[in-house]
Amino acid sequence: MEQFFQQLTNGLAVGAIYALIALGYTMVYGVLKLINFAHGDLFTIGAYLGLTLLTSLALTEHIGPVWGVSVLAVMVMGLVALIGALLDRLAYRPLRESPRLSAVVSALGASIFFQNTVMLIYGARFQVYPQNILPKTAINIFGLYVPLIRILILLASIVMMGALYFFIQKTKVGTAIRAAAIDQGAARLMGIDVNRVILMVFLLGPAMGGVAGLMVGLYYGQINFTMGWVYGLKAFTAAILGGIGNIPGAMVGGILLGVIEAMGAAYLSIAWKDAIAFCVLILILIFRPTGLLGERVAEKV
Amino acid sequence: MKKLLLVALALALICGSAYAAEPVKIGLMGPMTGSWASEGQEMKQVLDLLAAELNAKGGLLGQEVVVVSEDDGGDPRTAALAAQRLATQGIVGVIGTYGSSVTEATQNIYDEAKIIQIANGSTAIRLSEKGLQYFFRTCPRDDEQAKVGAQAIEKMGFKKVAIVHDNTTYAKGLADEAKGILDANKDIEIVFFEAIVPGERDYTAILTKMKGFEPDVVFFTGYYPEAGLILRQKQEMNWDVPFIGGDATNNPDLVKIAGQDAAAGFYFLSAPLPKDLPSEDAKQFLEAFSKKYGNPPSSIYAVLAGDGFRVLVHAIAESKSTDPDKVANFLHNDIKDFPGLTGKISFDDKGDRVGEVYRVYQVDDQGQFILMP
Repeated sequence: MEQFFQQLTNGLAVGAIYALIALGYTMVYGVLKLINFAHGDLFTIGAYLGLTLLTSLALTEHIGPVWGVSVLAVMVMGLVALIGALLDRLAYRPLRESPRLSAVVSALGASIFFQNTVMLIYGARFQVYPQNILPKTAINIFGLYVPLIRILILLASIVMMGALYFFIQKTKVGTAIRAAAIDQGAARLMGIDVNRVILMVFLLGPAMGGVAGLMVGLYYGQINFTMGWVYGLKAFTAAILGGIGNIPGAMVGGILLGVIEAMGAAYLSIAWKDAIAFCVLILILIFRPTGLLGERVAEKV
Repeated sequence: MKKLLLVALALALICGSAYAAEPVKIGLMGPMTGSWASEGQEMKQVLDLLAAELNAKGGLLGQEVVVVSEDDGGDPRTAALAAQRLATQGIVGVIGTYGSSVTEATQNIYDEAKIIQIANGSTAIRLSEKGLQYFFRTCPRDDEQAKVGAQAIEKMGFKKVAIVHDNTTYAKGLADEAKGILDANKDIEIVFFEAIVPGERDYTAILTKMKGFEPDVVFFTGYYPEAGLILRQKQEMNWDVPFIGGDATNNPDLVKIAGQDAAAGFYFLSAPLPKDLPSEDAKQFLEAFSKKYGNPPSSIYAVLAGDGFRVLVHAIAESKSTDPDKVANFLHNDIKDFPGLTGKISFDDKGDRVGEVYRVYQVDDQGQFILMP
């Protein structure tokens, strides 16, 4: 039983990261019906920018670890959001009226471009975050031994997802985003500037992805330019699992995928954990083709 | 008429210049990008240095030696493409590569093109069991490594052993081989035998599961990027089980990834490291390398690639030919105790290196690799 809960905490920490990245996929898909394949690479860029800012500004030495990391997170979010907005302006917006396939190809191209840019700037070797930025203490919860950072990652993710959910549900801009997701034409008739809505989506999604990259860097320490591929694939899967286009779905899907992986590894076979996770995905899609929380969308003809 | 003359002149120039300086081309296939990029980039540095030294001394068969390098990305699919590109460039032989599954994807391509391949880090047993006449390697084999690993486990008195691999040709081969040897020992019980998925960040799930089996020691046969993360996460879990790694964990980046605290006490098997090479040739080489690049080579596999280059050059010079059959024949039969940088080199019928023993190293508190007595 102890092992069950230990694996549960392992799965939750991994899943929280998947969920943060999945938000970017699902928001873009919701509004544009486009799979943004470059999103995983925005996550990588977040990890690398975090490393550069961390080592060059030495924030944590000046203002302590808690404030240092918080300021760092805000800076990374801002910068990656900016790159996300540029990506939309340069790679997607000119193709807005083209067939959907053109935008998907453009997304793949952007992904390759980002990956190679990171490799050329930072080199192909593994980069390592400085050690001991965050305290290595562990907390004893009912006999379970959980590193503090894992709890912080989970909490930070939940807080950020909660804030995003509130923003989408309760604010005017959020309402505009939801309206544009339902019907762009009608939204435009209601006086919503759809291009600005899309810009907003490309600021929010990459900000979440970038901060996830920073978290992975801070916690796991080791980053390289291809890391976005695995995380991107998993997060994309999580978004589909929860119902792509649905924001709470991405959160549920991400956390669920992390937990399924950990449980698959614990009780079946570690080498098969990805196969198990994808089997679950197939099963869920067979019985609920729109994902767990996906809305029933009438097919537009 | 004028035009025709010009074309003829141009043709004559092209042919003439090509004929005058037809260099001896030697290929290098290594992981310049990807997880193992630090290995590949150092392989290239070593070969560039050796080729420059050779050309300064007058080259090979009176010609300049040119190293043509291709990136295999540490990935079998990329490697197959790299091998096809190299095969069309008129190379006599190719040095590389590091990973066994990567080498395996290219063996037949080189064999069909009659290009001599000298692998530098691919230790999987089955690579040389295919009867390929042009395949050699300067690194030892995994049956040798598994033997040394099993002996180390027996000698240190561990009773319950966990073995973890990553399903690559090399890691699985080494794990299976070690399991076979340890199973024969009645005092030792293998309590855990599984594979991880390489390229991920979080290995706490496998660590948690493995901890439940309470092994005395863990033998990890995968590569250094994952080994570093596993050591780091193991420390975070406050689990102090000793780890032994295979020779693919032998890379200074391991300590960087794991952090000094977590890497301290980690054992690994390896051919002697560059700094522990005894021969005079090796010392001179290390000096020249440090002078050119500012630091000594960190990986033994880069030096083994250098040995592959030197032995190939020697065989071409002695057999006075770039004919692959003659050179391969010379490598198989006529090289006896060639003074390599990593010790004496001879090849058996399969193209495996004869002799040369694995050593056990341990990482100390400062992150240095210390040769165990």
